[in-house]
Amino acid sequence: MNFKKFGVVALMLCALAAMNYVAADPWPTSSPAPSSAASAAVETRAVNEWLMRMREASQKQAYIGTYVVSAGPTMSSAKIWHVCEGKQQVERVETLTGAPRSTFRHNDKVVTFMPDQKVVRSEKRELLGTFPEFLQSTDGRIADFYKVRREGVDRVAGVEADVVALLPKDSMRFGYRVWTEQKSGLVVKLQTMDSDGKVLEQAAFSELQLDAPVRVDRLLQMMGKVDGYRVEQPVLVKTTASAEGWLLKAPVPGFKSVSCYKRPAASPSSAVVNDEPLQWVFSDGLASVSIFLEPFDRQRHDKESMLSLGATQTVTMQIGAYWLTAMGEVPLSTLRLFANGLERKK
Amino acid sequence: MNNLTSFVQPGELLSALADGELRREELVAALQVGGSDDAASGGDIARWSAYHLIGDVLRSQANVAVSPDMRFVERLNHRLAREPVAAPVKPVLNLTPPLTSASNDESFRWKLVAGVASLAAVSAISWNAFGLFSPAAVPKLAELAAPQQVLVASPLGPVLRDARLEEMLAAHRQLGGVSALQAPSNFFRNATFDAPTDVRR
Repeated sequence: MNFKKFGVVALMLCALAAMNYVAADPWPTSSPAPSSAASAAVETRAVNEWLMRMREASQKQAYIGTYVVSAGPTMSSAKIWHVCEGKQQVERVETLTGAPRSTFRHNDKVVTFMPDQKVVRSEKRELLGTFPEFLQSTDGRIADFYKVRREGVDRVAGVEADVVALLPKDSMRFGYRVWTEQKSGLVVKLQTMDSDGKVLEQAAFSELQLDAPVRVDRLLQMMGKVDGYRVEQPVLVKTTASAEGWLLKAPVPGFKSVSCYKRPAASPSSAVVNDEPLQWVFSDGLASVSIFLEPFDRQRHDKESMLSLGATQTVTMQIGAYWLTAMGEVPLSTLRLFANGLERKK
Repeated sequence: MNNLTSFVQPGELLSALADGELRREELVAALQVGGSDDAASGGDIARWSAYHLIGDVLRSQANVAVSPDMRFVERLNHRLAREPVAAPVKPVLNLTPPLTSASNDESFRWKLVAGVASLAAVSAISWNAFGLFSPAAVPKLAELAAPQQVLVASPLGPVLRDARLEEMLAAHRQLGGVSALQAPSNFFRNATFDAPTDVRR
């Protein structure tokens, strides 16, 4: 046991964490609230138009870039290829840090290559394209809970970008600062901030080549090359919380139930039939929360805990004969509201 | 190894190489095509340069016109072959550090102190991470029973190493990507995040 080596590593980690803690970036808190219904309507339209423009840009542009995500003391990066042709959207993400991973997305189909394990995981992400409903609904959802504020211009990855802050109107969600490329509206940088304006997580292109020669057929060809790999298709069963005997008796303002799934436990040791954690997903249009519920197991679930990993917060606790893991890009207090509002139907 | 059926033409293979679209096995094959074929090497190198030229023209507004001067390359190779290879200089001093144990290795007390210091550092990290929960953001925190942290120090920082929670995090990232703001950034974010090398999802 080499104590000294461990001590040095621990001290370095400590220094890293401290640096992250100090690098807070508070935004000015003065922001006049809209006074009349008319200005609120204008604001709603402004937020929605801006979000729609961002979405269109993400679909139309073809680009190659290097993407960097920093959350807490960790930093990850990947090289990204993106192209669209008509209704087809294809992306390729090659991780540059951590375990080697190649992820391809073709519309809602996602294939992840794990060359170190010779495994390919093939999944569907139904929810990627569904958010326009949040914007089109008459109640203005996103604009009800966030206000938008222009913060000037900046340069990111060599392109000129408009900077806009989306600030929560209550304490139940985080704020965002978004950099969009001026001509196209493509998001080139994104920060998630807590109520003090401290940056919890940020993601940005460090290098970006717009209108790059990326070919749909070539990416699809690579995506389909699974020779020599074992293909895993995680089983996902769609259900409803009500059918599983769960109810959120006190809804959390702004958050709407989006979906509910059962998935078989991944560890082969737990062969109990009803040992499938239920995943109930909520969203307010920008932030999402996953509620995992499974039967309480004294051996595994001995610690109620709270955890913060970049913008993602986690709370675990016991609810009667069940074990709850609530997870989301929201303040811990919001996860508590979900936890306290949950009820097991008789 | 016959993964290369999709690239029938060596030219196509080179084009893909220039665009950075090759996977490992293909890359090796492409480099062999470019490197082994001596007779046609002029053709391959010219083609390689042409693809780069095409790429440069596509990417830039300025005029780019560069073609390889094969005669220069030939001369350079010739001269390089004739250069004498310098023998590695022998080290004058033997600088290998002696593999003896540290002077304080005998002292158990010193190890104890180092252990306590490490523990203090890890606690500091946990405390630091705990500092992320600002009191303003968590008004209800005071009402809670004291929670237990499951933070573990790793080379990546204080992170969670609970396979079950990792699975849930992955599941949340897969299905929780319901965001007007983060499509497709959310996909990039999740795909970019380091996958834990020691935990199977």
